[in-house]
Amino acid sequence: MIKGQEFLHTFQVTDSVYNGFIEIFKDKNPLHTDEAFAQAKKFREKVMHGNILNGFLSYFIGECLPVKDVIIQTQEIKFALPVYLNDKLDFYARVEDVFESVNTIEFKFHFSNAENKKVAKGKIQIGII
Amino acid sequence: MDANQILKEVNDIFIDVLDNEDIVLTRETTAKDIEEWDSLNHIQLVVAIEKHFKQRFTSSAIQSWKNVGEMCDAIADKQNQ
Repeated sequence: MIKGQEFLHTFQVTDSVYNGFIEIFKDKNPLHTDEAFAQAKKFREKVMHGNILNGFLSYFIGECLPVKDVIIQTQEIKFALPVYLNDKLDFYARVEDVFESVNTIEFKFHFSNAENKKVAKGKIQIGII
Repeated sequence: MDANQILKEVNDIFIDVLDNEDIVLTRETTAKDIEEWDSLNHIQLVVAIEKHFKQRFTSSAIQSWKNVGEMCDAIADKQNQ
């Protein structure tokens, strides 16, 4: 992978992703499970767990790169807008820097919703093992 | 940038990456002297140093460093190139 290389993928927060996340991690906070509660907090509907996007990031690193011998070293993500059930998210990642001395690659990424607004962005540093 | 300034800036990087305000590097400091300086943090230290000084090293150069002093010398050598 080289500096500037770009990657695109589309993810969707389907029922199975949402329900699977709750089943596994048990986060049933009403913001994520109660429409009335979420609407009382000025959201359109119940808000998806932000860390679902971290699952998508895991898929990107583990399955979408041209090499499989990778490990995530650091990761940071900033959530800007809510994601709702069944939202389709366009994912964009770019190789921001390559550190050949320690076999490390840094990506910048963002997720955009159907209105082309960034819902989250961040950085991931991976090692080639 | 003189050697003392490089050592000071490397020290600041170590404090930040290893999250230990008590670190005081000398030229003779090695990984054995700092508990948090393990193999994973070593990667973060190198990445932070390369970013901070806007330099790139080879893996063989990094492996040749025996202590912080040799690391600082390598940084100084690249600055003088």
